[in-house]
Amino acid sequence: MKNSMLIVKKELARVFKDKQMIISLFVLPVIIMFGIYGLMGSLTKSITKDIEEHESVVYIQNAPAEIKDLAAATGYNQTAHISYLNDNTSESEMLEIKDGILAGTNDLLVVFDKDFKETFSAYTNAGDEIPEMTLFYNSAESYSSQAKDVFNAMMAQNYRTMLQAQRFGNLDLLTVFSINEEKIVNEAKENGQFLSMMLPYLIVMLLFASAMSICVDAIAGEKERGTLSSLLLSPIKRSELAFGKLFGLAILSSMSAIVYAVSSIFSMGSFASSIDGGEGVTFSFVQILELAAIMVVLVYMFVAIVCAVSILAKDTKQASSYVSPLYIVVIVLGLVTMLSMGKSPSDIMYLIPVYGSAMAIQGITIQTLTGIQFLFTILGSLVFAALATYGVKKAFDSEKIMFNA
Amino acid sequence: MIQVNNLTKVYKLSKRKMQQMKTTENIKKAANDISFEAKDGQIYGLLGPNGAGKTTTLRCIATLLTPSAGTVTVCGHDTVKEGEAVRQELCFLTNEIKLDPFFTPKYLFEFFGHAHGMSDEEIEARRKELFGYFGISEFENKKMQELSTGMKQKAAIAVSLVHNPQVIIFDEPTSGLDVVTARSVTDMLKKLKEEGKTIIISTHIMSEAEKLCDCIGVIIDGKKVIEGTLQEIIDKTQAEDLEDAFFKLYSEHHKEEEPFNPKSGFGGRK
Repeated sequence: MKNSMLIVKKELARVFKDKQMIISLFVLPVIIMFGIYGLMGSLTKSITKDIEEHESVVYIQNAPAEIKDLAAATGYNQTAHISYLNDNTSESEMLEIKDGILAGTNDLLVVFDKDFKETFSAYTNAGDEIPEMTLFYNSAESYSSQAKDVFNAMMAQNYRTMLQAQRFGNLDLLTVFSINEEKIVNEAKENGQFLSMMLPYLIVMLLFASAMSICVDAIAGEKERGTLSSLLLSPIKRSELAFGKLFGLAILSSMSAIVYAVSSIFSMGSFASSIDGGEGVTFSFVQILELAAIMVVLVYMFVAIVCAVSILAKDTKQASSYVSPLYIVVIVLGLVTMLSMGKSPSDIMYLIPVYGSAMAIQGITIQTLTGIQFLFTILGSLVFAALATYGVKKAFDSEKIMFNA
Repeated sequence: MIQVNNLTKVYKLSKRKMQQMKTTENIKKAANDISFEAKDGQIYGLLGPNGAGKTTTLRCIATLLTPSAGTVTVCGHDTVKEGEAVRQELCFLTNEIKLDPFFTPKYLFEFFGHAHGMSDEEIEARRKELFGYFGISEFENKKMQELSTGMKQKAAIAVSLVHNPQVIIFDEPTSGLDVVTARSVTDMLKKLKEEGKTIIISTHIMSEAEKLCDCIGVIIDGKKVIEGTLQEIIDKTQAEDLEDAFFKLYSEHHKEEEPFNPKSGFGGRK
């Protein structure tokens, strides 16, 4: 145990005596996470603001007399630059306006039937002709889609209500019942929806990336440089050496992963609230402990697996090629969790390493994780971690693996 | 003292290696029934062409490899059954085993001192002695990767000797060193010999073996082909000097292969 601690200290010293390592493991992740989500948030805000502030270019053909007054009354004419066209507008001019919508220079063309108001007034019985209003817009253009939505909300709906009032007099007669919506919601779950979708995937992926970046060099790199042999020549037992390496690397990976995770939570939380104005997620002390326990066990499992694979390689290049497929598996398992949002797997599924952990992290963010699910998650990861640790220990004992003998 | 009794080390060959070595056998005897004894206060020289089995033999003594047959004892400890005890008694320095380039000689000296169970006071006293001898104090706080080849070799020797081992095994101890550094290494070996240490070196430099070794064993194709003092070997082979004796021994075992080339080694092997 004393010798294992000596190896742990050496692994820590390897990082903390090197400024470049400190920056790459603990400073860059914070800058990157806040940079990415800060940029995403500010871009999203800026795009939304730009769309909202854009003055739509709208053409209205055969507008009934009330439309101009309605545009003034609703303030629509202040949000859009409206050009009124009559029925004499040529085909080529109409085509030019439509081409403008396709090109993004025009946003909306509204065409009322030629005798819109007359057709409306002539309606007496069911089956009589109903006048039409056609909206031409470009669904691939944000400005155009926004112009269509705004026209519908400010003009079309109000004009419909106006004509209904003209036809029926008292509109209340048309109301046969009203609908009240009362929200019954777990606010924590509602606020955690965005995080619960992204966080498990991100944490799982980042933990593996941290373990990979540290362990490949610490095992295959040392083997390649011949420095692992110098440790094997010391009186330290191979088992102490293996455990010392694993614990040291697990501590480093955990620290790096915690930096990543905390940065992710804060930067994603602020990103989510910046785009939907919702409240951030708050965790209880127990939930923080659960999250920490899941992450610590998961990171140790990743460290043990990456070390067990890396030790089989002759150099870091080979080790990276061995570990990369595992990284893809981890990413896929994380994505499965993200895409299966809302489905609750059976408790036994939490025993599956990585998948179970991702599901458990998701459960914590939306506050639905049960005690048995938490225990199964920890148990599943621990069993795998123990198997990988045994593999590393056996590899340290093997002269074929250590010396290609 | 080191006792090597009928040491045999067999490697299994992959099909690819069999093709590379142009052999139909799927095993290679890197060490074949080798026996010798290195006594306290003596430098034993292990000579042989590249791929002869010197490094395999040294690795078996250093507990890095397990013999397929035979036994090796170091200071009375069996290398297989008492690996940790053997490693406590010896140091093994080879070009293939290096010190971590990201650490300083001082840190590594202290680390390996602690790994050998030494106290801080013991390490400090030993550090002053060895760093002073090799002139390492000037660069003791520089990272290994910033040091020249000679500085690295000096640091490596000092670190390997931190625990004052009884048995010292140096594989090509002066390889790649300038004359001054090489001299300090050979002087150190002589000093250690005077202190009663058991020393084994493997070398290609015949003049070095002639000057340093009390006893020389020559290994060719995994077998020990001759053993004795410098004079005994010259007498037995009726050669002019050690290099001449070496050439004759090699030629006897490789009559059909190309002769010794001083630049590329025996048989042109790398």
